[in-house]
Amino acid sequence: MTAGLAFSAAPDGVKSIDLPDIKTELAAGAEKDKAEKFCSLCHSLDYITMQPKFSKAQWTGTVNKMIKTFGGPISDDDAKAIIDYLAGAYGTGK
Amino acid sequence: MGFKEMSRRDFLKASGAMAAATAMGGPADLFASGPRMARFPEKTDLILMTSRPPQLETPMHFFKELLTPNDALFVRWHLANIPTYVDMKEWRLKIGGNIDKELQLSMDDLKGFEKISYTAVIQCSGNSRGLFEPRVAGGQWGHGAMGNVTWTGVRLRDIMKKAGIKAGSVDIAFNGLDSAPFPKVPDLVKSLPVDKALEEDIMVAFEMNGKPLTMLNGFPARLIVPGWYATYWVKSLSDITVLTKTFEEFWMKPAYRIPDNDCGCVAPGAAPNKTVPINRMTTRSFVIDPSDGEALVKGKDVKIMGIAFSGMHSIRDVIVSVDGGKTWGETKLGGDKGKYSWVQWFYPWRPTRSGNYTIMCKATNAIGESQPFEKLWNPSGYLLNNVEKVSVTVR
Repeated sequence: MTAGLAFSAAPDGVKSIDLPDIKTELAAGAEKDKAEKFCSLCHSLDYITMQPKFSKAQWTGTVNKMIKTFGGPISDDDAKAIIDYLAGAYGTGK
Repeated sequence: MGFKEMSRRDFLKASGAMAAATAMGGPADLFASGPRMARFPEKTDLILMTSRPPQLETPMHFFKELLTPNDALFVRWHLANIPTYVDMKEWRLKIGGNIDKELQLSMDDLKGFEKISYTAVIQCSGNSRGLFEPRVAGGQWGHGAMGNVTWTGVRLRDIMKKAGIKAGSVDIAFNGLDSAPFPKVPDLVKSLPVDKALEEDIMVAFEMNGKPLTMLNGFPARLIVPGWYATYWVKSLSDITVLTKTFEEFWMKPAYRIPDNDCGCVAPGAAPNKTVPINRMTTRSFVIDPSDGEALVKGKDVKIMGIAFSGMHSIRDVIVSVDGGKTWGETKLGGDKGKYSWVQWFYPWRPTRSGNYTIMCKATNAIGESQPFEKLWNPSGYLLNNVEKVSVTVR
């Protein structure tokens, strides 16, 4: 657990906070490193780990959304590797 | 009345939250390890959903209080670059677009308008998504992405009157200080139709429960659209722009839309033919005390307590069952804090026999809208408002 860090407000009219640096580990699997590298570009990895188990089709939809809708800079080969990893480590097996 | 056993309830601890994954990922031993907790700036220990951007859920026991403490109110941001530093000497709320006069309001300017205050439920569109059946992707909230807060600020209508909205205006867009981690990621901008934006209760708030907004809940000012889901309640409000056509950027379309029918629902797995932007909150009620899984003493009086609320309408009544829905009784409602606030309800019970009991509650609002017994489904995991159940053991 990380303590809430100090903030200041007035007299100089500035309010600031420091966010804690909390890491989430991904489950073991081939190409886990690729998932970590690309997914972490925009968000923490708990976005992945909090999901229920998805089918390969569902993970494919999610990864494609990250690329097409959110502009993730991921090549087709890397996308395939990431989908395989997620479907394996966080999938229903279907 | 077909209610199914919710196996997923096995994961709900007394905190009532859908347990987040353990540090190693995967849901395998959620029940054993419990939800991850974290203490962020200006917040107490909350359930950690995501760290970047922060999404923090309120443990259910805080809902025993009529007003949710500021340090316990849930946190939900969409984009990794959230504001962590604001210089009030420099901060301005900018009004622009199809108006007579552009404005740049400092906080002092903002406070020059007539002050208004009311208590309103703030609820994430995806609150309870973790309990959807079948499950859907997105933030896997339990019931803790909600709270009841007294908001203080000024009327958006008064600000817009000063700016002077010109003829031909259709929508008003609201942007905050948060920004996307990469240029291609759509910035969070929400819109309201002009008529909705100019309703008398739409507020630019700068206080929550009498104190300045916490940074994580949108300091220094945020939009309040009472009775509607919190996706519209843009945090760290910085720009208000009046538009001459319908705003259809990502976070209004295709995001945050519901099936265009009475129930806002479709068959599980189906795609809706037509959608509209999510809007008014559904009617909901919860058993807060006792908590799920609690053990009670035979012959000892229990004051069952809960909450109920509905979008834009007061709660007319809440009924409760302690026998899994076979028989129902009227609850006593707590003090009326206005139609936007939740209301507490109370039901005295003396369990006279040992065993397992299922307590259920069902609210009806002033215009007769209530809650279905079954879980209704839509692809995004919005609007959930089925009759809730809490299991207790009497010894």
